[in-house]
Order: sequence, then C-alpha cells, then structure tokens
Amino acid sequence: MLKTIIAKEFLSNIIDLRFIVGFVLCIIVTIACIMILAHDYKQEMKDYNARINLEDEILDNYAPAALDRLLGMVSTQEPPERFRPLIIGIQGNENVGSFDDNPLPILFPPLDFLFIVTIIMSLLAMLFSHDAIAGERQNGTLRLVISNSISRTTILFGKFIGGIASLIIPFILALLAGVLYISVNPAIQWDGSAWTELALLTAASITFITLFYLLGLMVSTFSRYSSTSILNCLFLWVLLILVIPNVCTYISAQLCRIPSIKETERKQDEIKYPALKVARKHMKEAAKRFKLRYGGLFSEFESMEFGGIGTWFFLDREAASTHQKAAQQRAEEDPEFKVMMDAFRQEFEMAMKEFRRTLKEAGFDKLGRDLGRKSVVQTNLAKNLACISPFANFVYIARDLTGTGLRSLDYFEQTKDEYGDQFQSYAEEKISDARKKNPALDKEYYLDVSDRPRFAFKEEPLKGKLGEVLPYWGILVLFNVVFFVSAFAGFMRYDVR
Amino acid sequence: MLKTIIRKEILNNLLSYKFSIITILSTILILVSIFVMYGDYCLALDNHDILRVESGDRVEIIPPTPLGIFAKGLDENLCRSWELQGVGVEISSERQKSLNNLFKLFTAPDLLYVIKVILSLCAMLFAFDIICGEKETGTLRQTISNTVKRPILIIGKWLGGFTSFILPFFMAVLLGTIFVTLSPMVDMNAQDWAKLGLFLLSGVIYLAAFFSLGLLISCLTHRSSTSLVISLFVWAMLVFLIPNLGNILARQFVEIPTVQQLELKRQQIRRRVYVEMKRIPKTQPDFEKRQMTLELRAIAEGDKLDEDYRNRINSLVKVSQSITGFSPAPAFTLLATDIMGTGVAEERRLKKAAQGYKDLLVQLYTDENWDEESEPPDFHYQRSSVKEILGQGGLSNCLILILFNLLFFTGAYVAFLRYDVR
Repeated sequence: MLKTIIAKEFLSNIIDLRFIVGFVLCIIVTIACIMILAHDYKQEMKDYNARINLEDEILDNYAPAALDRLLGMVSTQEPPERFRPLIIGIQGNENVGSFDDNPLPILFPPLDFLFIVTIIMSLLAMLFSHDAIAGERQNGTLRLVISNSISRTTILFGKFIGGIASLIIPFILALLAGVLYISVNPAIQWDGSAWTELALLTAASITFITLFYLLGLMVSTFSRYSSTSILNCLFLWVLLILVIPNVCTYISAQLCRIPSIKETERKQDEIKYPALKVARKHMKEAAKRFKLRYGGLFSEFESMEFGGIGTWFFLDREAASTHQKAAQQRAEEDPEFKVMMDAFRQEFEMAMKEFRRTLKEAGFDKLGRDLGRKSVVQTNLAKNLACISPFANFVYIARDLTGTGLRSLDYFEQTKDEYGDQFQSYAEEKISDARKKNPALDKEYYLDVSDRPRFAFKEEPLKGKLGEVLPYWGILVLFNVVFFVSAFAGFMRYDVR
Repeated sequence: MLKTIIRKEILNNLLSYKFSIITILSTILILVSIFVMYGDYCLALDNHDILRVESGDRVEIIPPTPLGIFAKGLDENLCRSWELQGVGVEISSERQKSLNNLFKLFTAPDLLYVIKVILSLCAMLFAFDIICGEKETGTLRQTISNTVKRPILIIGKWLGGFTSFILPFFMAVLLGTIFVTLSPMVDMNAQDWAKLGLFLLSGVIYLAAFFSLGLLISCLTHRSSTSLVISLFVWAMLVFLIPNLGNILARQFVEIPTVQQLELKRQQIRRRVYVEMKRIPKTQPDFEKRQMTLELRAIAEGDKLDEDYRNRINSLVKVSQSITGFSPAPAFTLLATDIMGTGVAEERRLKKAAQGYKDLLVQLYTDENWDEESEPPDFHYQRSSVKEILGQGGLSNCLILILFNLLFFTGAYVAFLRYDVR
C-alpha cells in the first residue's frame, strides 16, 4: 500500500503546474548559472596567472638586499576556489584594503548553487508540501483514503517519500547536467577529493530540501485550509531564510561589542611610547656615564652605534646587525673594550626589563589577547544564534565543505604564514650569502631570487572540513526529525472531515 | 460606486487572516530592522571617531550617514579611511573593518532589504487572489451582474487593496523613524529628511509595481492556487534571479581585473620609478628636478591605471543595469541607495573628489611658490544633494519603476476587461 501512495503522490505532483514551473526553473537556472560561473572561473584563472607573472616580474627585477623590504614585496596570491563554477567564495581581507573595488556584489549578491538550493529549492519544497494534507482534506479525498484500511502512518510516509522524490528528481537532473558541463570543460580540473566533496554537498542539499518539505508537511497537518497553510509556510520561510540569519550577525555585534583593531593598537601605543621614552632616557644617561668613565673608547663604541646593542629596538635592524659584527670583532681584539661593551649590555638589559615590566603592568599584551578573545566570542555567538535557521547551517556546511567559506579564509591565512616563514628563511640565507661574497653590500643592491620557493596553495584535506561541518549537519538532521515527528503527531490527531 | 468598492476591499482585507499575518510580519521586520541598523550605525560612528583622530598621518575619512540605517548600501566602503600615495589612493588600514567575518556571509537587514525582498512578496500575496479568488468564491460574477463597470471595479480593487497593504507599512516605518530621530546619536538635517521622504516614496512606487503585478497574474489565472504558484515564481525571478544573475553575467562582457592585480601594477610602477630615481647621481645640479619629474611620471601612470579601472567599473555597472532592466528590484536598489547617499553614484563621486584632492596637492607641491612649511588645505566632502541625485541617474531609475507600474497595471486592466467571470 505504501508503494501505491508513493506512486499516487509522485504522479499527482508531476502533472501539477508547480512541478512543471519548478522543473523548468531549476534546470534553466542551474545550467545557466554553472555555465556562467565556469566562464567566470576561467577569467579568474587568467587574472590569477597575470598576478603571478606580475609578482614574478617585480621580484625578478627589484628584489632588494634588505630583508624587511624584500619580505614586504611578497604577496601570496590566492587562486580561484576550485568550486568557483558552483559557489562563489567570500572575499578575503586582500580586497578590504583597496580603495577601488567592484561595488556590485555588495548591492546584488551573486547567483550560485547556494542560491538555487536555499531560495529556489526551499520555496519549491514548501509549495509542494503545504497542501499535502490540508489540500486533500479540502478536496475530500483524504476522508476517502482514511476510510480504507490504511494506517495514517503509511499515508504520511507515502506522502513524504512521493513528494520528496518528485522534488529531488528535477534537482538531481539539473545538477547532473551542470556537473556534466564541468567535467567536459577543459579549464576545470577536479580531482577525486573534489568529486567526493560534490557528493557530500549534494547529500547536504538533499537534507536541507527535505527539511523544508517536512516543515511544509508539518504546517499542513496543523492547518484546515491550504490557503492558511501556504501563508503560514511563507511566514516561516521568510523568517528562517531571509530574516534570522541576517539579523543574528548584527544582533551579536551589538550584544558582544569588540573594539576595532585600530583602537586597540592606539591603546597599546599609549602604553608603549611612554615606556619607550623612559627606556631611552635611561640609556642616554647610561651613555653619559660611560663616556665620562671610558672616554675615547666609548666614543669609538658610539660610532659603531653601540655595537648594535638596543639599536635594533630603536633604529634599523639591519644596520644594527652590521655594527654588531664590527663591535664584536673589536671586543675580541681589546679586553677593555669587551668589559665596557658587556657593562653597557647589562645597562640595556636593565632598561629593557623595566620596559617589559611597565608594558606588563599596563596590560599591553592583555589588550591584544582581549581583542582576539572578544572577536572569537562575537563570531561564535553570531554563528550559534544563526543556527536557529537551517539556512545558516546549510551555508556553513556548503561553504566549509567546498572551501569557499570562512574556514577556507583561515586555512589560506595559515598556509600563507607557513610560506611566509619559508620565504623568510630563504631570504635571510640569500642576503647572508650575498654579504659573504660582498661585505660592502648595499641595501639598494638587487638580488637574484629566481630560485625562491614558490607559493602553491593546496586544498585543506577533507577530514578537517568534515570535522567542522558535521555538527551543523547534525542540526539539519535534527530539524528534519523534529519536523517529521511534529507532522506525524499533527496528522495522528488530524480531523479529516 | 468606486468608494464602496474601495471600502469593501479594505474591510475585506482587514478581516482576513492574510492581513493579520502580513501586518504582524512586516511590522516586526521593519522595527527589528530599524533597531538593528541603528545599533550598526552607532558602531560605525564610533569607528569613524576613532579613525578620525589618527595622529601623524594625513588620513581622510567621511562620517557615516544616519540614512544608512534605512539603506546601508556601500556606506561601509565609503566610510573607510584613506590616504594619498604617490601612486594611487590607498586605504590606510585594512584593520578598520569588523573582525567578525560572518558579516561577509549574510546581507544587511536594512529597510531597503525589507522593502525589496519581503514587502514585495507581501504585496504579491495581497494581490494574487483579488480577481481569481473572487471568481472562485462566486462573488465576482454577482458584482459584475450589477451596474458596476469593470474599469471602476479593478481601480477600486487596486486602490482598496493597496491602501490596506501600505498603511501598516507606513505605521511601522513611522514608529521606527520616531525612535531613530529621538536618539541623540542621530542628527538629521532638512536634506536628510527630504532624502528619507524620497526613499519612502520610491519604496511605495516599487511596492505598487509588485501589487499591480500580483493583480495582473490574478487577472490572467482562474484559480488562486495557480495564481499563487505563478506569483511566487515571478517574485523569485524578479527579486533574486535577474538582479543577481545580471551581476555575474555583466562580468562576462566587461573584463575587469581584480583589485589585487591593480595593486601589483601600482607596486610595479613604484619599484621601477624608485630604481630610476636611485640611478640619478646626487651630485648632478638638476638632481631634485629630475627626481620630481620621475615622481610626477609615476603619479600620472598610476592615475591612468586608476582611471582605466574606474572606467571599466562604470561600464560594468552600465551593462549590469541594462541586463537587469527587466526587473524593478535593481532599479529600486540603485535608486534607493543613490537617494540615501550610499550608492554607486556616491562612491563614484567620492573617488572623483579624492582624485581631485590628490591633483590639487600634487599641483601645490610642484608649485615653486608653495611654502613647504605651510599646511595644505583639508579635504572636504559633502554627500550629494537631492537635486544632484536626481541628475545623476536617479530620475531614470525612478522612471523605470513608474514604467513598470504602468505596464503591470495596464496589463491587469486589459486582462480584466477580457476576463471570463463565470
């Protein structure tokens, strides 16, 4: 009997106007969207390659023999996300610093697979299920069905399976057509992990669509008329999709306020600069005392910028390094110079100890830590608040799985830092080698860095992504269970007359 | 007779379940939106005050507008602090934005969003069964059998239906606006009030277009369930599909480099000029003059780069506008953000002003009579006035909205004249 009900539900759905309109819309939008985004991906790749070439050109021609300046020239370029033909990733911080950027994505969020699932499919799911029970009661067919020897459980299961099948089929067909386009497109090279991620994304999408079908079914079992049912469904849809996720982030920002980084830096400066002034004063007084005591020897030491002691802190790090070497050599030759240098170092260490103590007492590090902690608290609060809405849960799953979300931004920053360390070691070695060959090496000397390590971004392994998305997936499944149980309870008590 | 029909339609709506649920939804949403965005404005104001007192550097920043509470648009972009560099204008600190990256995932729930997305849906839900619903219940046949003319009936239904829909909207907006204006943080002048009035007027025109569209669909169908399905799909197409698809489609026609590429090109110019400057022997008598010539050349090259980029962005906006011309939603978004001073036109204007200020400073520094000790003039920026907004393209977007209204209402009128009421 279950099979008959499923077949009946499926057939009645596919001859309905809703199915035809939904099917056409789904197929056209999905294919058009994937085709446009695939072309966009190609353009993004072109831009990425142009950026790599530009950076190479700059480094090949203008890599200075000064560490800080050389490190400042290396900007790791992020390639377009491999899921770009399906989902448009969120902007990293690189664009935030630019005065010129494209304003359109802020005013009109771009259309992608996420939009198709969250807006079109969820709306379609509710349109399919809002009258599954109330509509049949109005037509009088529900009474006839119930009067036979069919349990209500079977009817509900049949309606659920038949309805979902008629909804998922156009979705899968549209997605398959899009995926076929991706697989034959030579510009898009997906490996095994990408296909696995796509399979998981499809499964998450089905969980999300089922959720909205069940929500519609639940509302239907609590309504007497399909007109009331559809209004209630749309009310819930608007709240869950369009209101809660958008409002929660802003509410969390107001509930849990965090100071801007600039403000924190300013507060830190207010602590740091007076302490630095005290340290400088201490060193100036020490210099006066040493001059009186050691006379010409100290003047020589002074001309060497105090052998780099403390000058890295007050002056230029590289200049300090050069002077340090010269003073070291002089100390080896003259024991009195060594005694003076050690005593001066002790003075400096005392000044530094006092400086660090002042910073600690004034809470210099605490300010930075507080900012980081508060930002994590705010983000988590916003994330957890938005979890009331299945939309937010699905967005987290889809984006984190496909490497187009916040997690991927953090992961990119992490790989960027790793590369930064690697490049720094390389640059230090390169400059040191160049100095060995030419001790009088000038900062303006241009290095040959053609053998530098290149940045190659690798996707995060699936295991890490799964760990992140599973809790949100669990919430989606929980929503499914709650809505089904509620629909079941509602239908058990439903007056079919 | 028109009065009777309007009265009947209003009363009928007031007593319906649809009216209760839509009124509750829209009132809650509008109030929540205004409260939430007011909080956001206060945060933006704090941020501005912190960035403004930047010591030592020559950093420029404009304050956020209180109208951003109603339509945030690009205000976050406009209110970033920036400073002039030899090559290009640079945002002085990327750290001025929020640390909460979740803002990147979701849209700002301002009044513009509520009107554009949610109230347009409500307008269609109000109108989808005005004709076909009455046909189903049989009352339309009875009404027509009297001496009521069809044009009077449809106009009466439109006026009555739209009035009952728009009144709760105005009440909620009024409440929210009173709250905002009573707040000490918000300082709105006469221009701002005029802009808010224009924004609400454009919102009403936009909602009227969707109401007329709902009426048109109702006149073209014979069952309210069919009308509802079509209305929902048309709404999804007009509000989400066309504007968002238009944005990515426009990128296929206008090739535009990423800002990262632009920055690398600027860096390349800087490095090249730096090397050339270092090559000039300091002993040369015209050393400073030659250095200045190189600097000016770098500035000119940078300006050319920026100009090319901005021209491409302008073309992209134009192409996108042409593609999305089939929907009232993009026209309303552009019109509303332009009116509130948070739109594309304002952004373009600010960039132009920044460029003008840069040119002025370059001119001063290269002037031989310029006293290096004296302070250069400050950067002053005033957001567009109502008159300027209308001249900058606001009027054309407004005309597009009116055109949609006329089109949909005429369509509904013609369809109703031919409607089979049996």
